[in-house]
Amino acid sequence: MIDHLPVLLVVVPVLGATVPLVASLYTDRAGWGVAAATMLVHAVLAALLAQQVRTGGVVSYAVGGFALPYGIELVVDGLSLAVVALVSAISLGVLAYAGQAGPHENSFYSQFLLLVAGLTGMTVTGDVFNLYVFLEITGLAAYGLVASGREASAAVAALKYLIIGTVGASLYLLGVGYALAATGTLNMADLSTKLAAAGYDSTLVLTAFGLMVGGLSVKVALFPLHTWQPDAYAHSPDSVSAFISALVSTVSAYALARLLFSVFTVEFLTAVPAARWALVAVASVSIVAGSALAVSQSNVQRMLAYSSVSQLGLVIAGFAVATPIAVLGATVHLVGHAVMKGGLFAASGIIERETGATTVGGYAGMGSRTPLAAGSFAVLALGMVGVPPAIGFVGKWYILVGAIEAGLWPVVAVLLLSTLLTLAYFARLGERLYFAEATIRDEGAVADGGEHTDGGTTVSTGMLAVVVLAAVLAVALTAAVPALEQLLTDTLPPLLQ
Amino acid sequence: MAGPLTTAPPVVALLAVSVAIAFLPRRVGHALGVVTSAAALAWAWAVPGGAFLRTTFLGFDAVLLNVDPFSRLMGVIFGIIGVAAVLYSHASEAESVQTAFAYSYVATSFGAVFAGDWLTLLFFWELMAVTSTLLVWHHRGKAVRAGYRYAVFHGIGGTLLMAAILQNYAIKGTFLFGSVPGGPETAGIAPGLPAALAAVGIGVNVGFIGLHTWLPDTYPRPHVAASVFLCVFTTKTGVYGMYRAFPDGHVAIAYMGGGMAVFGATFALFQNDMRRLLSYHIQSQVGYMIAGVGIGTALSQAGAFAHVFNHILYKGLLFMTAGVVVYRTGEENLKKLGGLARQMPITAGAFGVAALSIAGFPGFNGFVSKGIVIDGAHYTFAKGPLPIYEWTTLEWLLLLGGVGTFMSFIKFGYYAFFRGEYDGDVADANRGQSVAMVGVAVLCVFYGLSDGSLFALLPFDVTDEAVVEHVYHTYTVPHVVEGVLLGVIGLVAFALAKKPLSKLGRVPDIDTLLNPAVFYGTRGLVVGLTELYAAADRATVGGTRTFVNSVTNPDTVYEGVVGGDSSNPLRAGIGLSILVLAVFVTAVLLLLA
Repeated sequence: MIDHLPVLLVVVPVLGATVPLVASLYTDRAGWGVAAATMLVHAVLAALLAQQVRTGGVVSYAVGGFALPYGIELVVDGLSLAVVALVSAISLGVLAYAGQAGPHENSFYSQFLLLVAGLTGMTVTGDVFNLYVFLEITGLAAYGLVASGREASAAVAALKYLIIGTVGASLYLLGVGYALAATGTLNMADLSTKLAAAGYDSTLVLTAFGLMVGGLSVKVALFPLHTWQPDAYAHSPDSVSAFISALVSTVSAYALARLLFSVFTVEFLTAVPAARWALVAVASVSIVAGSALAVSQSNVQRMLAYSSVSQLGLVIAGFAVATPIAVLGATVHLVGHAVMKGGLFAASGIIERETGATTVGGYAGMGSRTPLAAGSFAVLALGMVGVPPAIGFVGKWYILVGAIEAGLWPVVAVLLLSTLLTLAYFARLGERLYFAEATIRDEGAVADGGEHTDGGTTVSTGMLAVVVLAAVLAVALTAAVPALEQLLTDTLPPLLQ
Repeated sequence: MAGPLTTAPPVVALLAVSVAIAFLPRRVGHALGVVTSAAALAWAWAVPGGAFLRTTFLGFDAVLLNVDPFSRLMGVIFGIIGVAAVLYSHASEAESVQTAFAYSYVATSFGAVFAGDWLTLLFFWELMAVTSTLLVWHHRGKAVRAGYRYAVFHGIGGTLLMAAILQNYAIKGTFLFGSVPGGPETAGIAPGLPAALAAVGIGVNVGFIGLHTWLPDTYPRPHVAASVFLCVFTTKTGVYGMYRAFPDGHVAIAYMGGGMAVFGATFALFQNDMRRLLSYHIQSQVGYMIAGVGIGTALSQAGAFAHVFNHILYKGLLFMTAGVVVYRTGEENLKKLGGLARQMPITAGAFGVAALSIAGFPGFNGFVSKGIVIDGAHYTFAKGPLPIYEWTTLEWLLLLGGVGTFMSFIKFGYYAFFRGEYDGDVADANRGQSVAMVGVAVLCVFYGLSDGSLFALLPFDVTDEAVVEHVYHTYTVPHVVEGVLLGVIGLVAFALAKKPLSKLGRVPDIDTLLNPAVFYGTRGLVVGLTELYAAADRATVGGTRTFVNSVTNPDTVYEGVVGGDSSNPLRAGIGLSILVLAVFVTAVLLLLA
């Protein structure tokens, strides 16, 4: 079994996803248990895989035993391992949160597991077409999850997400087609050599790059392709927004990095400076525009969503700089942002349940009314701003140092500016939470909480524990950075030359 | 050489204490604060010099504890004022949480002045901005908005300093200070753009003219005890940072110092709010220190740091006396006070000592250190563009600032303590406040009379010919005459200017321009972005609605679109999003092809 770990990571959640549907014949509350059991198995598998990668280096697996490069290859190296572990951990966290917060339907947990399968698949695959398949699985499951909100606006948000996401994925597929036409292969490792042979200046290769990166940028939600994201995050149930805000864009950004480094490689970026500059420009615009839009929001969840646009821009900027230290920084920030943003959404969900506050104005004086959630929110926000010793600081710092080493001064300026803007919107929230008079009366929570018919307005220990754990992790993960650095240098030698 | 005193940087212990203060009973917490401040003072006195706790932080060399004469002097004076200010906080009914914020501010200041590399310094520099903002915010009310402006100012300053430090790193390959073993060959920030950025970034903290508006804006607003803390740490750590960045001085910084001395004293004269007046004097006095650092000779730098030491004593004392007046009368405005000397003799006496110290009257500590800086400007600095008689340009600027200082403190004293009678009964300072004030006042006089004790603390021995360019003697006839003369001129000038000054309304400082500019600039950016988006959105919203209606159940969704979308102009519809995507990808392909 130990040899089949990579494929099991994908198969287990797919199988798990079918169980709640069947169980619906008998009970409508089996989903959570099934999902929890499946995710525990998933976590064990991920841990075993981590052990294998740490001792034996890169793990490669040929699905169905077909000879490479014609069969589908699954590859796990340091970068994908970090993301797999992240997916596994965050899914468990979200389950702990959803146990009380809901939704409780079986179908929700089927979609949840399907989403995990899609995300894991995107992470471990070594094949660009297979990546598309998992991209679509991820997308479809995510659309469904967003639509599970009770309000009509959730349906609109899901529809918008569906249409824009599908167009984005289709563009990616088109790009895969061009790459296939240029090289005759779909395997990533194989593509990297054959693309070089086809010539980096060939129109086919350049078009493939443009379409694939453009398509994935939609999924990452870079400005101006982010328009689906604030609606999707703000209108879906809390558990869902915590889950997809933490993982969907993150794994898409990972896929983009995978394309950059394993398919097109750093040599391509060096040979075609326009490609690198285009990426840097899009990322920089994303950083600034995302922050500026976040500053102008009054709804906290929308603010968090726009903050994601900015922070993932930062990650892509780090990958585009493409020096070893910048890639390390981007990876750290990718993981760190996922933990912090998931925690922030979960915390905002708790604050809404306990106090009814959803806007910046409503947050006034809520620090004392919901001390744990607000405290965690403040810690996570500070981490996001990049206050040391939080993980957010380390990631930004490495990206910054990488950009300085590469002499990309515009990126340096944008990074510093974005820190200021991030401080601007999170400081406003922190100030409201702790230093302002409450604008919502105590009974407000009860009156306003009616819409949560599923979970009611009660907040379970599990929900609080998840948020506090995220806050602790936002600081504690800093200690894991040297290990990650070691893992990346060990398993990504060609990338980090 | 590492011993028990150098196992951890002091900031660690002090931060732990500040947490304890927040949770302990008020009396116990404040007692703990006083004791640990005294311990920090003793530590700073006794700790051996050198660079300790070398470590690598994120792969860069860092020195968490670096003790040299400069940082030792800062540590000693921070410890002294820490004792007095915590005691004063307790006596002035400050809440435990407020004192805890203040103490964390003290702790991070210790971290900053005992850092041995730019990275550590910057880390604590930013934390100081955070903790002091929290200290201001804690007072609520008007302090919140001022605190926000304060935070923005220091955020910008810190970012500029960070940019300077990063460029310095790119040039030198290390973050370490030049004086630390293993550090770069040339100390300070590399010349050119990094130096300019560092000057402006640190200039925010020390209150360069034009960057100073946060000072009189913020310091008068919080609790009276909070002001005592605030007036000490940020600006003085700024002076210390300026020295680290420019160990050889810079002529532009020297003249900026001279300008600050005059500008601050002049604007102080126009003020009627006591703490606002004192805040302008911070700028003026820091001007002397910045001038000393800018001149860059051993004499002037010794003078600058002597002035840091003395200034912390008398400015802390001034804010304490002003605080007592506010605490007892509830009145901030000088115009509404008067005749308090009879009812508040201790406060009036302490004020007298502090005022004579800040004005540099012979026999008080300000006289000694101001004299060193002025001697530095006279003997070790270029004549400059406008020498008058024997005075160099910088020297007469500093002397002029001295006259302004005399005038504004005669004004303060006259209006608060001597003019007329105060109606009603006012108690004098309570016991704790009196102990804190008298203790600091005694130090002001002590260091004025026993100038040798002050010289012993300085980084350069100003009485040794081998060390300084011109040996300094405090009590010479010209010096004393100069000090007394400045006082007489100040007295006469105040008598002449009293009438016109009292008719003067509020004199606008540049913040009347700056605040709206920043506000409308930011607002313009946000509104511009929003409007741009809204315009695009309006154009396509009709198409979006039809599109949505045609593919889904019109009844439920329509409501969502109307209820959701039209209320928020920022949301782009589906159609627009797809259009943007198509244009985006086309643009990318055209760019690549």
